[in-house]
Amino acid sequence: MLSFVFLQLAPGDFFDEMRLNPQISPEAVARLHREYGLDKPLPVRYFSWLKSAASGDWGTSFAYNAPVAPLIWSRARNTLLLTGLSMLLCWMIALPIGVFSAGERHRWIDHGCSFLTSFLLVTPDLLLALGLLWIALRTHWFPAGGMFSLKSAHASSVAQCRDLAFHLIAPVAVLVLGGLPVLLRHIRAAMTDALQTPYIRAARSHGIPYSRLLFRHALPAASAPLVSLFGYSLGSLLSTSLLIEVVMNWPGLGPLLLEAILARDVYTVIGTVMFSALFLAGGMFVADVLLFATDPRIRTKDIG
Amino acid sequence: MWLRTYPRFTASVLLSASACLFSSVGSAQSHSSNEELVISDNPVGHPGGRLVASLRSEPKTLNPITSIDISSREVIAQMTGDLIHINRLSQNTELAIAKSWKVSRDGLQYTLKLRHGLRFSDGHALDVEDVLFSFQVYLDEKVNSPQRDLLIVGGKPITVHQVDSDALVFQLAQPYAAAERLFDSIAILPKHLLDQAYKDGKLAQAWGLGTSPEKVAGLGPFRLKEYVAGQHLTLERNPYYWKADRAKHRLPYLDQITFLFVPNADAEVIRFQAGDTDVLNRLSAEDYSALEKDQTKHAFHVYDAGPSLEYNFLFFNLNSVLPARSEISRKQGWFRQVKFRQAISMALDRDGMVRLVYRGRATPLWTPVTSASRFWIDTAVPHPVRSIDQARKLLEAAGFSWSQSGDLIDSSGSRVRFSILTSASNSQRTQMATMIQQDLREVGISVEVVPLEFRSVVDRIFQSHDYDAALLGLGGGDVDPNSQMNVWLSSGNDHVWDLGENHPATNWEAEIDQLMVKQLSTLEPQARKRLYDRVQEIIAENLPVISLVSPDVLVAAKDQLGNFKPAELDPHTLWNSQELYLSGTAASGQP
Amino acid sequence: MKMSRIAALLVTALVFLCLTVVFAGFLAPYDVAQQNRKLAFAPPSVIHFADASGRIHLHPSVCALEDRPGAFGEYRENHLNCFPIQYLVRGTPYEVFGVVKSNLHLFGVAPQTKIFLMGTDSYGRDLFSRFLCGGQISLLAGLTATLLSLAVGALLGTLAGYFGGWLDASIMRGAELFLALPWLYFLFAARAFLPLSLSATGAFWLLIAVMSLVGWARPARLIRGVVLSSRERHYVLAARLFGGSDTYIMRRHILPETYSILLTQAVLLIPQYVLAEVTLSFLGLGVAEPTPTWGNMLSTLQKYSVLATYWWMLIPGLLLVPVFCGFVLLANELQPGRKARAA
Repeated sequence: MLSFVFLQLAPGDFFDEMRLNPQISPEAVARLHREYGLDKPLPVRYFSWLKSAASGDWGTSFAYNAPVAPLIWSRARNTLLLTGLSMLLCWMIALPIGVFSAGERHRWIDHGCSFLTSFLLVTPDLLLALGLLWIALRTHWFPAGGMFSLKSAHASSVAQCRDLAFHLIAPVAVLVLGGLPVLLRHIRAAMTDALQTPYIRAARSHGIPYSRLLFRHALPAASAPLVSLFGYSLGSLLSTSLLIEVVMNWPGLGPLLLEAILARDVYTVIGTVMFSALFLAGGMFVADVLLFATDPRIRTKDIG
Repeated sequence: MWLRTYPRFTASVLLSASACLFSSVGSAQSHSSNEELVISDNPVGHPGGRLVASLRSEPKTLNPITSIDISSREVIAQMTGDLIHINRLSQNTELAIAKSWKVSRDGLQYTLKLRHGLRFSDGHALDVEDVLFSFQVYLDEKVNSPQRDLLIVGGKPITVHQVDSDALVFQLAQPYAAAERLFDSIAILPKHLLDQAYKDGKLAQAWGLGTSPEKVAGLGPFRLKEYVAGQHLTLERNPYYWKADRAKHRLPYLDQITFLFVPNADAEVIRFQAGDTDVLNRLSAEDYSALEKDQTKHAFHVYDAGPSLEYNFLFFNLNSVLPARSEISRKQGWFRQVKFRQAISMALDRDGMVRLVYRGRATPLWTPVTSASRFWIDTAVPHPVRSIDQARKLLEAAGFSWSQSGDLIDSSGSRVRFSILTSASNSQRTQMATMIQQDLREVGISVEVVPLEFRSVVDRIFQSHDYDAALLGLGGGDVDPNSQMNVWLSSGNDHVWDLGENHPATNWEAEIDQLMVKQLSTLEPQARKRLYDRVQEIIAENLPVISLVSPDVLVAAKDQLGNFKPAELDPHTLWNSQELYLSGTAASGQP
Repeated sequence: MKMSRIAALLVTALVFLCLTVVFAGFLAPYDVAQQNRKLAFAPPSVIHFADASGRIHLHPSVCALEDRPGAFGEYRENHLNCFPIQYLVRGTPYEVFGVVKSNLHLFGVAPQTKIFLMGTDSYGRDLFSRFLCGGQISLLAGLTATLLSLAVGALLGTLAGYFGGWLDASIMRGAELFLALPWLYFLFAARAFLPLSLSATGAFWLLIAVMSLVGWARPARLIRGVVLSSRERHYVLAARLFGGSDTYIMRRHILPETYSILLTQAVLLIPQYVLAEVTLSFLGLGVAEPTPTWGNMLSTLQKYSVLATYWWMLIPGLLLVPVFCGFVLLANELQPGRKARAA
């Protein structure tokens, strides 16, 4: 349902902008107008656009004089790699720390991570990115941006993977560090709430070991808000990745979108935004499914 | 006797004999006795190796007919050959595929003879048909090639006919000085590969980036080997190239050239420093200084090849056709006064621009002709030193005065303020505009810098005329004044300050028109120079464009690259790619 | 609303920050647009407490900077040419709030030399002056966007919570949508479709507006929660019995409950919107030259050569951290109090 709403966001009033584009003659705009059926009622319009989009025709980029879809897809793969990896790492780091910090033992985890969280929360991602770049430029411990070096194109796939991994260090580090504070906070909050519930206290009095208590009993109960958090954090991660990609020269959707905007390359902009919307919708759909799967009774409670 | 009695048999024997002969031409080092090669008189290098260069944007196409963008043209230049070529270093023409040219007494007919026995990079023989086909395609209006405009002389396209098995006559509508320069970079196309596409009307889509190498052929030193989207484009040696060195070894020396795609200038420099690329074309001044410090430690050198043909300039909107309801016509009351423009020019800190924007690696300009045009530049044009006092005097003489708070006001009492349009993606021009903003503050003028995306800038200047002033840079493709006709002629497309008018708006513009038209058909170089000198003087005095600075050509190359001679004309590093060689075994990245 | 000691301290600090930014003209030694072309990329001035002969005295001084001929961007101090720092000097004129004109500056040096507390940028403009004045735009942008965002959020949240039913459902669905949106993508798309005729400043403020319209979702949901709970309170029911209209009830009884949330949200949102402005200006979508903002001062750092060589240009970015810290800590302080009251 959310996906459909997203798709409705697909802009329909951008043909005015096209009129200003010097490359397009007024006749062409009129033709496109008719082609897109803009004189037809709104629902019909969107369905026909959806149809063409679904069949793979996303228009042509002016700057590259090539169809938009393959252009976006090749960049989107890189963004997906970056975003996916960062998401995974972020959750993998945040979950155990968050869970433990909510528990009563090992208080030092809680203090440590709240300090870390506060520090990371106030540091803008931009600054983190610039800082890491600075370190990279000074120390050459890891590459300062980009995705591949030339030698890797002809090297073995193992060496290629290694090269890619090196280039991933900086952007993934920034994205993970940027996303950690929010995640940690929410996980901790959810866990604390879950730990207060009566059945947990009952479980504790039954003598269930500590870590099992945390992970097997409390966490699933706390999972409902966390799964919806997953959906929302995807959006902010996508935003941040746009910025990071531009700053660190990672060839993903970010630089493509920025270039397209500065060059008034309308179809590319639309395509990119559409793609990110689809990606987001996909993520939220996954979140919805997970939510339904983990606990049906959650559906009746108000989320948030 | 044989021929008469057994014609078919003889013919087939002769054919098969010549077929055997031709098939042996395949090897790189030998050449058939028919072939006429160009012998270069540069130092002999050794063959082998791969050169890696970088491109800041991916080429859009490999089609010489339709390509416009720089990257595509750079790659295409390596794969194609022309009839007469301009040597980028000496700036003079030299014979290429044509082995001789003659011009008729009235200057209207150019007769070119082709070399014999040349072949395209796929082995197919070159003949007059290909040349005719090429020009037919370029001149065909339906094909819409940007090259067509270059082949229009006196308002009419040139015409070509064959007069012999190896000679062509080009007919011009009027005498055109240095017309042989027109042939440079007009690539000769293989009819056998493109004819079908032409007949089908699909020529513009031919030779896109995904085309397989067998379908692309040309007369350049290299031919297409491989294209990997987003990564690189590799060219390999053309075994049929028609130049050889003094030792009679067929050029080029290099086995491959790889063009690596880099996202931006920073990445380009990093790659070069890391040793991934062998040559850097057009460095920025900051990168030049950074690399200069490193060059002794690593095996490369940076080169400052001197001023380029590029000139950056500020100009005002003097169009008479303006968008409705705009303030511009009121402001034109200021812009149209010569003393106003002269005052602005006096107030600008060109030395500051050279220092800050280009780290000293640029030359201040007072006319758009840079010293890269060694023959054509008028050295008698005055170079006044920056003077705010002088600027103020000029403004007073033009009827301006200053308010209490120091703002400049015109005779009707309104404050003088305008905006300067510039391209957001070009940081040097934006920097210059910001410096101009600060300079003009000292004479009381308030300037707003408006960086817009390049297309919007182009649209505003050329279509809607919706701007006050703009800062642009134009690069001359060639030193010859004919290449600047579009800028100086009142009816020209690049007459940026006043487009859309076919008649000159002022007396001095009329004079420039006359002079430019006259030099176009004046065949004697010194006489042309006198005319062009006068044009430069008029420009320096009336300032339709206020010239600012011209950046130097800054390049870098690894030391092991032999025969490297950076030139002021584009392409600065690879113009002599057929003669470049890598000494020592370590080329970057063995294939 | 009682504030803890720490909260009071933080509020004072933030007020101090605002005052600094408002009086930036006074505190800054130079004009923001003044280009010292011979001193581009100059490092921060070294303050000397000892004079050339090595005697220490309390009066700080600055030595003249000269560039090395032939080398760009390399400077060395000329220790023979040192000048003391003077206080309350007359310098370039400026305006406070566009109303009060003055040319008094807190400190300065003799005209033969310059004092650059944070170094200079590529045009030779004093970064310290630009940082102080840049705060004006950045903080103003953050504040405006926050106010707009809260206004919209409060309105929609109240409507949703009070009326319930389909209005509630649709507003909340919308809120979920907006919460999940990648805001930067959306902003970029909005920028791409802005009409060309807008000036850079106009476009910037429009973007701030768009940005705040994206961010209404979180405050809206929180407000809705409060409204939902307070809707059932006794005095509200009583007011309804007495015939109070919806608007009256909302205005008089329910809205005051939301004030504390609004305040906390405001304190949280301001740094987020300031950061959004910084990001936009960094990417070149902000205000035009020569106006400084905290974002466009960082944008030259996109070039690796600048980042690696001229480290002082990072300082405006580093200074953002304590500023944001202040806001976040204040928000933390305000929150437990609200939780205790609401429980």
